[in-house]
Amino acid sequence: MLETEELRKIFKGKTAVDGVNLYMDKGESIGLLGPNGAGKSTTISMISSLVKPTSGDVRLHGRSIIKDPTNMRQVLGVVPQEIALYEELTAYENLKFFGRIYGLRGKLLESKVQEVIELVGLKDRQKEVVTTYSGGMKRRVNMAAAMLHEPEILIMDEPTVGIDPQSRSHILETVRELNQKKGLAVLYTSHYMEEVERLCDRVYIMDHGRVIASGTKEELKSILSGEETILIDLDRQHPKLFKELEGNKSILQALETEKGLKLIVPKGSRLLGTVFQIAERHHAQILNVNVQIPTLEDVFLHLTGRKLRD
Amino acid sequence: MKSVFLLQWQRFRRAPILVLAMFLLTVVFVFFIAGIHSTNQLTVYTYSHESLGEEERDAWLDMLNESDVFHFEWMEESEARNAVATGEVSLALQLMEEDYRILLAAEEQTRYIVDNYVNQVFMEELRLREIENSGVGIDFRSDVTQAMEEPVLTVTSSSIEGVDGSFIHDERLQVLFGMTLFFVIYTILFSLMNVAEEKKWGTWNRLIVSPLRKWEVYLGHLLYCFMIGYAQIIVVFLLFQQVLGFDLGNRYGTMLVIIGCYTFAIVSLGMLLIGLVRTSQQLQAIIPIVATAIAMLGGAFWPIEIVTNDIMLLLSKGMPIFYAMDTLKGAAIYDYSVLDMVTPLSFMVLFGVVCMGVGINLMERR
Ligand SMILES: Nc1ncnc2c1ncn2[C@@H]1O[C@H](COP(=O)(O)OP(=O)(O)OP(=O)(O)O)[C@@H](O)[C@H]1O
Ligand SMILES: [Mg+2]
Repeated sequence: MLETEELRKIFKGKTAVDGVNLYMDKGESIGLLGPNGAGKSTTISMISSLVKPTSGDVRLHGRSIIKDPTNMRQVLGVVPQEIALYEELTAYENLKFFGRIYGLRGKLLESKVQEVIELVGLKDRQKEVVTTYSGGMKRRVNMAAAMLHEPEILIMDEPTVGIDPQSRSHILETVRELNQKKGLAVLYTSHYMEEVERLCDRVYIMDHGRVIASGTKEELKSILSGEETILIDLDRQHPKLFKELEGNKSILQALETEKGLKLIVPKGSRLLGTVFQIAERHHAQILNVNVQIPTLEDVFLHLTGRKLRD
Repeated sequence: MKSVFLLQWQRFRRAPILVLAMFLLTVVFVFFIAGIHSTNQLTVYTYSHESLGEEERDAWLDMLNESDVFHFEWMEESEARNAVATGEVSLALQLMEEDYRILLAAEEQTRYIVDNYVNQVFMEELRLREIENSGVGIDFRSDVTQAMEEPVLTVTSSSIEGVDGSFIHDERLQVLFGMTLFFVIYTILFSLMNVAEEKKWGTWNRLIVSPLRKWEVYLGHLLYCFMIGYAQIIVVFLLFQQVLGFDLGNRYGTMLVIIGCYTFAIVSLGMLLIGLVRTSQQLQAIIPIVATAIAMLGGAFWPIEIVTNDIMLLLSKGMPIFYAMDTLKGAAIYDYSVLDMVTPLSFMVLFGVVCMGVGINLMERR
C-alpha cells in the first residue's frame, strides 16, 4: 500500500536520511526504531509530505505522492512528536477545528469528535482549555486530533514520550484496538522497545539515517539466536569490573545497566564461573543473576553498539 | 480557508487583551493630544513698562487679545524675563506707552509673526488716536468701528494651501490619523504572530499535512489580520467623528479604500517580517522598532509638511503610512480628486504585493 524508495534527505550538507526503503501493507503495524537523531522523524515528515525529499520517492498504491500529495493527505493521520494544539482553546474546540480542516461538518463532525474524545478517555474534561491539562492528557488530545477523519494509515512519532505508565498503557491499548479491529495501518516510532514488541508486526531499525535491519520481531531476534543474555545485579557500579569484562574475548558485548551489568555471550559458553571469579577479584557483590534469550533491545544493542535510550 | 479564518477569531475571543489595548491606546492618545491642540492659540507672555498705567495696559491687552491666533497673558516683568531666560518661552512682549518691545531669547520665526501682529494693532490704534486728537470729530472712532463691521466691499482670498501660503494644518486630524495608523500597526503585526506561533507549536504542520491547500492556510490568517486592522481604524474614526465631532468630511467611500490599501500594506509588511526573523520572540522585539520607525519617518507623529531635511523626506516616501496620511488628509481636508489619489494608493498596494511576495517566499524557503 505504502512504500518508500531510496528516500534521502540532506539538510544543508548534513545527511539526515540516507536511502531508506520501507513498505507497509494494509492493516499492518510497523515499528520504526532508532536512537536520537537516527532520522525517524525526518523519514516520517517525508512520508507525510511535510518535507520534500532530496531524492527518492514515496508511493501510495503505486503512485508517487511527491508531486501530488492530495490522495495521501485524505487517508493519512499524523501524530507529531511534539504536542501540536491550540493551547488556549479547549480539547473540544481543537478537535472540532481539526475535523473541519478534513472536511467534516455538522452532525458528522460532532459525532466524530465525541467518538475520538471517548476513545482517548477525556470525555469529562473536553470543555477545559488545553493549558490546564497534564502532559499525558495533552498527548491524548494530540493523538485524537489525527484520528478524526478515520485515516487508513496512522503515523505516530513517539506518542508516549514523557507520560505516566497508565496513560501510556491506555494509548497503546487504543492503538492496538484500532489496528486489530478496524484494520488501521500503523507506523509507530518509539524509544520504548516493549511498546514496539507489544504493538508491531514488523520492525525497521534505523541508525545514522539508514535502515540497518528489518523484519518481523522473530526474524530480528533470530539475529541473536546463537547468543544469550546474562543480567547481573550488583551492589553498586564497579567500573573496573566492567572494563575487564568488556575486554574479555569470550563476551560479545557488555553494557552497564541501572542495576548492574548486561552481557551478551555465545549460547552455552558457560561463562558464569569466569564472571563470578572476576567479580570476586573486584570485591563486587553479586545480588542476582539471570540468563535470558535476547530481546529486541539486545538486537538493537548488538547492531548499533548503543543503547536505544541514553 | 474559512476554518482557519474562523479559528483566529475563536482564538481572539480567548485572548482579546492585546487588540483591545491597542484600540484603547489609540483612543486615549488621540483624545489627549488632539485635546491639547484644540486650544490652538499661541500664548505670549506680556509685561508692561512702568510708564504704562494699569488702565492703559488692560486696554492694550484687550485689543491684542482679539486675535484667534495669540493669547497675551500679562505677568510681572521679572516673571516674564525669567521665563524667557530659562527657555520656557522663546519671547515676551513688553508694553510701553504707545510703543512696545519684544524680548527675545534667540532669533526665530515666531518673533516675526508676533511682531507683525502687535505692530498692526499698535499702528491702527495710534492712527485712530491721532485723528481723534486732530479734532476731526468726536464720533470718528465709532464711525470707523461701524464701517469695519459693515464693509462696503468684502474681499475673500483663499487657496488650497490656506491663508498666507502655509499648509492647512488641522492638528486634530493629524493626530487622529497619525495615532490610529500607528497603533494599528501593532494590532496587525501582533495578530500576525499567530502565524509564527503556529510554526512554533507545530500546528502549522498539522494544517499542511491536512487536505487544506497552503494558500488557504495563508489566506485564512491574512484575512483575519486584515479585518481586525481594518475594523480598528474604522471604529476609531467613527468614534471620534460621531462622539467627539471631528470633521472627517463626507468622502466615506474614498476613506474606506484608503484604509483598505494601507491595511493591506501593513499586513504584507508583517509577512515580510515573519519571513525575515526566526522566532516569535524576535518578532516581538522588532515590532515596536518597525512600527515607530515607520510612523516617525512617514509623518504620523508630526505633519510631514514641517520636515525640511531632504533625507527624511526621501525616506518618508518609502513608508506606506506617508501615503495613507496624505490621502486621508486629502480626502478629509484638501479635497483631492480621485486622480490625485491614484499614485499614492497604487504605491501602498505595490508595497504590499512586494512585501507579501518576498515574505511568503522567505517563509517557504525555510
Ligand atoms: N530542519 C532541520 N534542519 C537541519 N537538520 C535537521 C532538521 N531536522 C532534522 N535534522 C537533523 O537530522 C537528523 C535526524 O533528525 P530526526 O529528527 O529525523 O531524528 P529522530 O530519529 O526523529 O530523533 P529523535 O529520536 O530525537 O526524535 C538529526 O541529526 C537532526 O539534527
Ligand atoms: Mg524524532
